[in-house]
Amino acid sequence: MHTTMQTILRINGREARLDHDPRITLLDALRERLGLTGTKKGCDQGQCGACTVLIDGRRVLSCFSLVAAVEGEVTTIEGLSGEDGPLHPMQQAFLDRDAYQCGYCTPGQIMSAIACVTEGHAGSPDEIREYMSGNLCRCAAYPKIVEAVQQAAPHMRGETA
Amino acid sequence: MPTLIGQPTPRIDGRAKVTGRASYASDEPVANPAHAFLLTSFIARGRITGFDFAEAKAVPGVLDILTHESVGSEAKPPKQASGGPTTTTMEDDQVWHDGQIIGIVLADTYEAAREAGFRVRVHYAAETPAASFDAAGAERERRDDGEHQDYAIGDAEGALGAAEVTLQAAYATPTQHHNPIELFTTTCAWENGNLTIWEPSQFVYGLRANVAGQLGIPPERVRVISKFVGGAFGSKGGATARTAWIAVAARRLGRPVKLVATRDQGFTIATYRAETRHRIRLGATRDGRLTALVHEGTEVTSRPSRYNVSGNETTARLYACPNILTRVDIVHADRNTPGFMRAPPETPYMFALESAVDELAEKLRLDPIELRRRNDAKTDPVSGLPFAGRRLMACFDEGAARFGWADRNPRAGSMRDGEWLVGLGCASAVYETNIAACAARVSLRPNGTARVEVAGHDIGTGAYTVVAITAADRLGLDASVIDVAMGDTTLPAAPLAAGSSHTASLANAVAAACEMVRDRLARAATTRNAGPLAGRDPGTLRLVDSCLTAPDGVAEPLSDAVSRLSPGVVEAFAENIPDGAPPDAMGKLHAGTNPILRGYKRSDVAAYAFGAQFVEVRVHARTREIRVSRMLGAFAAGNIVNPIAAHSQYMGGMIWGLSAALLEKTELDDSAARYVNDNLSEYHIPVCADVRDVEVMMLPDDDDRANPLGIKGLGEIGIVGMNAAIANAVHHATGRRIRELPIRIEDLL
Repeated sequence: MHTTMQTILRINGREARLDHDPRITLLDALRERLGLTGTKKGCDQGQCGACTVLIDGRRVLSCFSLVAAVEGEVTTIEGLSGEDGPLHPMQQAFLDRDAYQCGYCTPGQIMSAIACVTEGHAGSPDEIREYMSGNLCRCAAYPKIVEAVQQAAPHMRGETA
Repeated sequence: MPTLIGQPTPRIDGRAKVTGRASYASDEPVANPAHAFLLTSFIARGRITGFDFAEAKAVPGVLDILTHESVGSEAKPPKQASGGPTTTTMEDDQVWHDGQIIGIVLADTYEAAREAGFRVRVHYAAETPAASFDAAGAERERRDDGEHQDYAIGDAEGALGAAEVTLQAAYATPTQHHNPIELFTTTCAWENGNLTIWEPSQFVYGLRANVAGQLGIPPERVRVISKFVGGAFGSKGGATARTAWIAVAARRLGRPVKLVATRDQGFTIATYRAETRHRIRLGATRDGRLTALVHEGTEVTSRPSRYNVSGNETTARLYACPNILTRVDIVHADRNTPGFMRAPPETPYMFALESAVDELAEKLRLDPIELRRRNDAKTDPVSGLPFAGRRLMACFDEGAARFGWADRNPRAGSMRDGEWLVGLGCASAVYETNIAACAARVSLRPNGTARVEVAGHDIGTGAYTVVAITAADRLGLDASVIDVAMGDTTLPAAPLAAGSSHTASLANAVAAACEMVRDRLARAATTRNAGPLAGRDPGTLRLVDSCLTAPDGVAEPLSDAVSRLSPGVVEAFAENIPDGAPPDAMGKLHAGTNPILRGYKRSDVAAYAFGAQFVEVRVHARTREIRVSRMLGAFAAGNIVNPIAAHSQYMGGMIWGLSAALLEKTELDDSAARYVNDNLSEYHIPVCADVRDVEVMMLPDDDDRANPLGIKGLGEIGIVGMNAAIANAVHHATGRRIRELPIRIEDLL
């Protein structure tokens, strides 16, 4: 039960070899072992969406994913842009629209919003509202989150220079 | 003079927030931490008779398990900001409420601590608990005057007896929990007898003083760091029991300890908005002038605490009425101690008053806005003092025009859109203008950049940006070159970020420090004779566009002005004690007490922000599904420092109101006195799809009687009128008057 196992994770374009407790979730591994604290713990029960990351482009709740079971390339909020470089269009849109207040759910919102666009679910405000409803924002920035997704979507699709 | 105050400014911490680099307390790296898991009680009343740790201690990686038996004497209970004594935790074997902290498992990993936590067996001598109002064993008492006050103006009972029209109704609001998305976390580390605490906090100086007092060490040996807070809404304002115990754990292990409490534990280890009941009696003339107002409230609290919010201190002051009577009773039950939650007094009490006003308007066949106009107070009905700005009716008039109130058919149940019954409702919003003592340090460099240090708190309000805007405005710089440090007790003392006071408190202190910098530069420039401003009156010089500038336009570059005084930086430290605050306010702040000056306890004016809130609801004719299709808030809340963040805060407050009125209720198991829906899928808060059109109007409201910068604060007023506006709209849609929140489908069947 308490043996250690080893998993090689691919995160933000790098490989991380992790000796770990088999019970550890991807969320706790990111935060407590790999120093990637941009991914947040809000409920640890798959209910709030704050821990959303992308695995091979699909949105995944990292609190519900055991490290041992992760397959594919993991992208976290830290993987979207360089330290001082240009922001990802979705990050820029959240900044431009003030689509946050405390900022705690924001990394999860942004990861989810990127997937919302790539899934083809950003066609209308109603569709965005529906497909962004897995990410809770207690500060209630929702109308501005919808605006941010609308702003970023054409940039992500390459429709705007 | 052009001013940056009031100009839309993107948050200076925005990039950190969208890149994941904003450092919340549990993100801060500490070396080799042990992980803590809280043991919490499974009963609500009784005593712990023993623990069985055999299985738990056999879990590999477990380091220690702390209980009252091992460490009970090492910490005292935290002092509460309000209400007096609170429940104990591991100080002894007593269980005061379900979910009370009774032990802490420490292990090398979180996984081991959690598993061991589930393997601890606890033995209790349980007693039957009282969960809330009406339970056998709940104790009722009248709330004495003290922190809060009852009012008896004129002869309310007599006026009611003589009134041409009367209205009497009872209202109720439920238990609600803040549920910020960030959990209640604490990391503690000791070094050479000095304790560092990383914990999300609305009051780092308060937490420092409190934990120092609990542990019996000088506050100077405690440092609290809280750079970003992942939502608070009142829940992170006071010291909770967990912090001192994690400090004790770290001291025993000789190793940092990190606690990330679980979501369900957050319902019982911190505070909540207690359930309330109200009886309102109104007397009026036939033409709608109030002759009597009686507002009696009852609130639940824990066994030892007298915490209450007494929102009838606000409802007594909103409308002109010669005869006013208020009273508050509190009911002690076997519960954790409640505490501040967004607009603590107004959210429940204004639901009652503003519903009753709507009911009275219907009875009088008057438009509800017109009824409010006829009773618009010119002076504070309790104190007789003038208001420091009162634009309530301007908010109604401009809001109503924008919202299309004139198109409303006043008859309930008369408006329909296909399958949907449509209802429009409105309510007044009001919140007192508070300010507290605060210190700040400003350092201006010759290269035209500056640093501001203040131990303030950005709980999502945009406080970092408010500080930058204020300093930039006063120093004649761009906000982007101001470096702001906050959330650390090594910085100059700042008060509790609560009561919609933080912007006013921080900005006025920062402005005072900037004025000291300007004054030093101006005196040097005018008295040391080399330079274009020699011989001028220093009081007339201003810092504008990176220059020290005289009224006639003669200017000296900032670099020259600064270099004259120092090759490095010109620095000023200011303590701002607001007029009317006690002179020892700064001492109180250092001692961990929030030195707040409340807008209704002043001797010169009654200082309040006002607003009018409008809601359109749609109730499905058959399923009775309730949707809020439109909401509009028009607010006159003093000078706005940053319209971008202000808009977000108003909007967030209004959506909080939607949530309070239609979704949020912590359900109690009455026999166990236990919260049932203690998770985010069963404790309902709005998701993106629940929120449609939200419009915010900010009316000018410039009154420097509020404070020198005329800032009134707006974190709370956005929620204040929403409960009633929605209930009033539901009534308009359906003809059903719902007097108990939240309003749910089953109430309309």
